[in-house]
Amino acid sequence: MKRSLFDKLWDAHVVEQLPGGNALVFMDLVVAHEITTPPGAIAIEKDFDDKLYAPERIVSMIDHVAPAKDAATAIQAQTVRTWSKRHGIRFHDIGNNGICHVLVPERGYVTPGMTVCCGDSHTCTLGALGAFALGIGTTAQAGAMLAGCLILQRPKVMRIEITGQLPPDATAKDLTLSVIATIGFRGGTGYVLEYTGSAVRALDMEQRMTLCNMAIEAGATTGIIASDATTAAYLATTPCAPTGWEALQADDDAEYAATVTIDASTIRPVVSWGTNPGENSRIDGTVPFDAPAESLAYMDLKPGQALRSIAIDQAFIGSCTNSRIGDLRAAAAVMRGQQVSVPTIITPGSQAVRRQAEREGLHDIFQDAGALWTHSSCGPCLGMSMGVLAAGTRCVSSSNRNFPGRMGDGGRVHLAAPAVVAASAILGRIASPSEITARAVVLA
Amino acid sequence: MIVEGSVLPIPRANIDTDQIIPAHYLTRIDADGMGEHLFEGMPDGARLLALHPGASIVVAGENFGCGSSREHAAWALLGRGFRAVIAPSFARIFNENAYNNGVVPVVLSQETVDELMGARTIAIDVDNETLSADGGEPISFALDPLRKQFVLGGGVLKYLASKIPSVREWEAAR
Repeated sequence: MKRSLFDKLWDAHVVEQLPGGNALVFMDLVVAHEITTPPGAIAIEKDFDDKLYAPERIVSMIDHVAPAKDAATAIQAQTVRTWSKRHGIRFHDIGNNGICHVLVPERGYVTPGMTVCCGDSHTCTLGALGAFALGIGTTAQAGAMLAGCLILQRPKVMRIEITGQLPPDATAKDLTLSVIATIGFRGGTGYVLEYTGSAVRALDMEQRMTLCNMAIEAGATTGIIASDATTAAYLATTPCAPTGWEALQADDDAEYAATVTIDASTIRPVVSWGTNPGENSRIDGTVPFDAPAESLAYMDLKPGQALRSIAIDQAFIGSCTNSRIGDLRAAAAVMRGQQVSVPTIITPGSQAVRRQAEREGLHDIFQDAGALWTHSSCGPCLGMSMGVLAAGTRCVSSSNRNFPGRMGDGGRVHLAAPAVVAASAILGRIASPSEITARAVVLA
Repeated sequence: MIVEGSVLPIPRANIDTDQIIPAHYLTRIDADGMGEHLFEGMPDGARLLALHPGASIVVAGENFGCGSSREHAAWALLGRGFRAVIAPSFARIFNENAYNNGVVPVVLSQETVDELMGARTIAIDVDNETLSADGGEPISFALDPLRKQFVLGGGVLKYLASKIPSVREWEAAR
């Protein structure tokens, strides 16, 4: 049988078939952070003599709340810190840290053909490197640290073929939001999304990570992109990536359980208006007339309302979706010489990204514009720290989830690409970057 | 094993884990203390819980437990006394977390779930994979035969620990 890329990765890691269509699947890397790892690490310590299958196959960091915001989060961080030191686990403490899905690829910890798991749903980001990477719960992660394996049902594979070329103003964020809108918020459940086609090949690695990052927002087990020269060039710039990894490709005429074809030239900048990421429309459009009433009630919007008329209270650029150097450059290009009109938080995805941005002077552009430039953390994306929304306030965000309460109880979130967030921060309403360019010309 | 109790109906799809337990409660290094905050992220969560005091079985729409991987969602349900969720579909990670914590994830058709929304009490026979609403005719469902064992006893970590020698052998021959 002709095999997909995912089939090859799966077949190469199955240790044993188990009852009920389950398999014992070997994990080459377990990523651990301070929020979801401690209960599992403590369970292994208590019940299994603190024995890990292979500490050298674990990498850990403080990423969600960095540094600790209170006594409880300090204990979480300290638990991961002491556990990592005790086992000789590669550990990234504050100052040398980053959001796991930003830090792990930039250090070169993941190479094509690997399997990776983490107690974090956006682990699918790492599929951009041609790896099978998936989010799991705390107990499953503990199992992977204890026995080197996950118990998984074999997912089906959906090919997402993206043909043609993205227009210049459309980004990987617009593409990934459009994929979710096309297949549906739960349309990927039970599937791995295997992204192929000329528009995918044309994306750089950071953009590929943005595309794969939101596979979970369609319910998919993960997203995955075959490695190529772009992957190899990226890995060559990382400090830790080993050489000699094998590039895996799908067979010609591989069989897929489903195939969806999207013409990239039809992708336009989009923004979400609802309470799940699939509820998004072109930024130049309106809130749809068939939008679910419940979503609109929460978001305080009306059908037919122009998206670019929606006033905002806050803007956020960051999260594992859009906080890499290319994202910050895109935001800076819009913000240069401008002033923000709402509180604006810009949070780099890792301390390495932060330092690169500062070498390029991006931090000056942001701060001259009146934005808050922070150190790396998951930030307000999940409403834990550093910019949580007040009830009833509205934020345009480069993050990944607009669920009710996601960024703070009663807060409202509109998802968009970094350049759209930057433009919106300046105009105080949902805005297109082209509006800033046009305004700059008039002001000149 | 019989899981029996009164019903908390949530007649909506896509109840995500941020609604089940908001992230600002994820600051503990154990699984305790989540129950009191169950459904705090859901706009009508407090109202629904107050309307159905003592409920121990959630009946909900499609895609229950989508979003974040936080196992705290399963811990919050357990901490509040919920032992089963009945829905037309579950998000993958929540489904795994539910089994790993002894919360029984029962998949039934939308039509059947809609009927169960109106039930007062449901008795779930986990061993035989049937349930009965308000003493009515048994309705069959299917559980994952492997993960069902983690619900009935033993636990997933013990099971995985028993596999370590064969995993090492597999890795050595890789």
